[in-house]
Amino acid sequence: MIAYLATIVLLFLLAPILLSFIKALKMVLLFKKPVSVFQGYRNFSKLMHKETIISRETSSITRYAPFLVLSPLLVVMFFLPPVVHGAYYVSFVDAFTITGLISLSTFFLMLLGLDSASAFGGMGSSREAFISALVEPAMVLTVFSVSMMAGDLGVGQAGVNLAEHFPQEHMASFLFAGISFFILLIAENGRIPIDNPETHLELTMVHEAMILDLTGVYLALIETASSVKFVIFASLFVSLFIPLGLEYSTPIAILVFVAKLFAVAVAVALLEVNTAKLRLFKVPNLLGISIVFAFLSLITFYVLGA
Amino acid sequence: MIDFLIGLFLATLITALFTTRLYRLLWWYSLNSLMLGFLALFIGRELDDKAMLITGIATIIIKAIGIPFVLKNLSQKFHFVRQVIPRIKVQYAIMLIPAILVFTFYLSEPITHMIKSNSNYVAISISSLFLSLLLMIEHKNVAPKIIGFLSMENALFLLGITATEGMPMLVELGIFFDLLMAIVVINLLFHKEEMKV
Amino acid sequence: MMLSLLLLPAVLMFMVSFSKNKNVSIWLSIISFSILLPIIKLFTLPKPYNIWDTYLVADALNTYILLVSSIVGIGVTFALMTLDKHVEVSANSYRRFYRFFAIFWIGLIFSILANNMGIYWIGLELATLSTVYMIKTNHSPTAHKEAWNYMIVGAIAISLVLFGVILIYASAKPILGEEAMSFNLLLSHAKEIPSPFLFEMGFAIASIGMFVKMGFFPMNLWLANIERASFYPVAALFSGILESAVIVGFFRFSQIAMKINYSHLFAFVFIYTILTIFIVSFLIFRAKDFMRLFSLSGIEHMALIALFWVSGGTFAALLHFGAHAFLKPALFLSTGVLESNGKYRIAGALRGYKGMKGALFWFFVSLFLLAIVSLPPSPMFFSELYGFGAMIETAKQSDHMLAMIGAVLFLLILLSVIFYRFVAIYQSMKYEGEENEKKVYTSELFALVIFTLSLMVLLLPSSMAFLRSIS
Repeated sequence: MIAYLATIVLLFLLAPILLSFIKALKMVLLFKKPVSVFQGYRNFSKLMHKETIISRETSSITRYAPFLVLSPLLVVMFFLPPVVHGAYYVSFVDAFTITGLISLSTFFLMLLGLDSASAFGGMGSSREAFISALVEPAMVLTVFSVSMMAGDLGVGQAGVNLAEHFPQEHMASFLFAGISFFILLIAENGRIPIDNPETHLELTMVHEAMILDLTGVYLALIETASSVKFVIFASLFVSLFIPLGLEYSTPIAILVFVAKLFAVAVAVALLEVNTAKLRLFKVPNLLGISIVFAFLSLITFYVLGA
Repeated sequence: MIDFLIGLFLATLITALFTTRLYRLLWWYSLNSLMLGFLALFIGRELDDKAMLITGIATIIIKAIGIPFVLKNLSQKFHFVRQVIPRIKVQYAIMLIPAILVFTFYLSEPITHMIKSNSNYVAISISSLFLSLLLMIEHKNVAPKIIGFLSMENALFLLGITATEGMPMLVELGIFFDLLMAIVVINLLFHKEEMKV
Repeated sequence: MMLSLLLLPAVLMFMVSFSKNKNVSIWLSIISFSILLPIIKLFTLPKPYNIWDTYLVADALNTYILLVSSIVGIGVTFALMTLDKHVEVSANSYRRFYRFFAIFWIGLIFSILANNMGIYWIGLELATLSTVYMIKTNHSPTAHKEAWNYMIVGAIAISLVLFGVILIYASAKPILGEEAMSFNLLLSHAKEIPSPFLFEMGFAIASIGMFVKMGFFPMNLWLANIERASFYPVAALFSGILESAVIVGFFRFSQIAMKINYSHLFAFVFIYTILTIFIVSFLIFRAKDFMRLFSLSGIEHMALIALFWVSGGTFAALLHFGAHAFLKPALFLSTGVLESNGKYRIAGALRGYKGMKGALFWFFVSLFLLAIVSLPPSPMFFSELYGFGAMIETAKQSDHMLAMIGAVLFLLILLSVIFYRFVAIYQSMKYEGEENEKKVYTSELFALVIFTLSLMVLLLPSSMAFLRSIS
């Protein structure tokens, strides 16, 4: 139980660091002076001290929504597969629940964007709806397919099963699910080929457009939510698709886990440096590939058993 | 490991189907052939079959390095259109590709009961045959069509090494020879174009 | 030794094609006769005779087909001498045409003699690729487009054949090992193949590949378009040599398939060919130029040959094949004269041939035109009689007699549509249109004489008896 809670706290603390790490790595690769890895914390504390101003046009939703954006994600963190051997984990929560909670968070984010009554908010919300509508089927299919391979519908149990006996004979479908999930990781977190989190350019914004009107504590909450979302996806990816290191003793296992998270961050950073952002109407192409791979993984598993 | 490679083989082919740039397409083709070469090497080591090891090395050298390089040179020399947009829209391709996969997987199901070793690979090679046909269908330009033809060759090669545990050496060398001949003919076809203009 | 003799004319042609001497082509045509020597020797040798280990084996069937295709090759080399008189072709591409013709011929000799599915396929692929370039010799944009078209469709067809070959190989490998590639072993062990489904699947895919290559349903028009766009000897080579190689593969594969499951094979080929003839006969009815007309009629005859063969009418199929292989190249070659300098009109095409050569030419063309629609003295007439007889004979053993009679009647109706069209075209060629002075060259006439003589030889009782002995 202690390990379980400790993991959640660790993930929560690691979340801003991971995003700052990606940013720093990108800056290094572009020959800029990198930001500190703890920049996420600095931003958080700065925002907490700032005055919170709310637009006159908004309704009470703006006051509730940031909390409702963050809280489903925090709930999801309790359902993640365990990091160390013998730790407590929730075994019965399946792909649908996790996807549902994530999309609940997204729903409130979109509502927040609409509520500010600015042109940007509505635009950002509609784009977000467009993307997440494509993400969800692929997400459900992928996690479902991996759970089938692991022999348990519960995501936590699946992670444990995969680590205990890796499905060598289902390597092909496992690979397809992995490819699909990595695309989803990028899409859902608004990383570069889909959305650029660093610009405030009208044409390219998705996530930023929705939170343009927010300040202070609310903005801090939303920023935290987005970093938590990244860490959720990254830890799902590493415990489902790189199921290594669970059998070691606790400190080493945690170390391995963190190393895997940073490896994912490095992969994302490299991808971001090497690709240009897609035009919004090209986004379905990328997500289409992801859906195809998710489906392929399921049918390869069912029909061929490979 | 073989499962992993065959997964990558199919994955690179599917990604090639969504590609809209010529060089990217060549890159995916080259990866596709590389996976095929590794697959031949692995299976050859498992079966202890020298001929298959040789063909695996030949595949890597010719198909993964040689042909993409030659095609890239040709495309620079004759100024190919490098933006190759598939004629089948992505939203239809998303539906079409899984449909093809399901169809071929079920089509080859009776076969997979008959071949004892590596039975799944027959299904995957048949589906990659169909997917490379789709690659040829969905492009209007010549260059992607050539790549479709070449990846069809790859699919056949995959079937050859998996379903039959290696064809006779003579036949495999003959197939390589024909592939080289195909490249020569393609080259000549482009050359004539140049002379006329 | 035998092999090198067989390949000699083609190899010489390949080497000579690099020299710039103009008179060389005459020598080439005379040298090409030398291919007949080893073939005659092959006829006298005891069959099966191993030419190259077990890879190339000559038996009665492929010796006959090799003879037929070699005669076509000789005829085409003669007609090639005057290619530049009828069409515009640069000296450079003329030489290239010879070079690729040589590669094509080598590939097909290998294909026809192959006892190994792999060798068969390699030869066919070599021929296909070299044809692409022969089509491209014509410098028109359509020819360029069609060359690419041939490259792509031909490659798909060929790949399907390879696919089928691999599946067949996989089906027989458990009992035969590496030897599962050879036709004669497959044939003798057909009953023991452990997974007939796999074999039948391979056979179906391979024959669809071959059918696409011969222009069967649903790819009826692609060959016609290609032959239209390219120079006329290409079409002659297609119908005379390439299709012989394809059909010999079909013969061999279906011989094995017959032993495995005759009713499946029969139903498959029967439906496929009847559908093809149905569509082709109406396409012929609408055809407006010689090339398309002849190439569509080639598809029709190929379908008939396949149908006769699977009905058990080996003799009929072989006779029909021989007759078609002589008649069609002859017609295509004379098309080159009829349409010389780009005149595509049918009306009056046979008028205006003066002198001894002219008279002989129009006499030959009328002979060929009427023979191709199987008017009685033509071998096609007999082969169709025997073929339909064989079809009825097959039906006698099953309880589908009425259906078979219906099918034969249906085929006869379709054939009469074609007959009507050909006669109408002949009349239009002879009696309509205006008269223009046209020229025929000796070499072409000589090629036509070769074809006519071979046709006559085909009708001799002894050659008929030889064909009967193959089965």
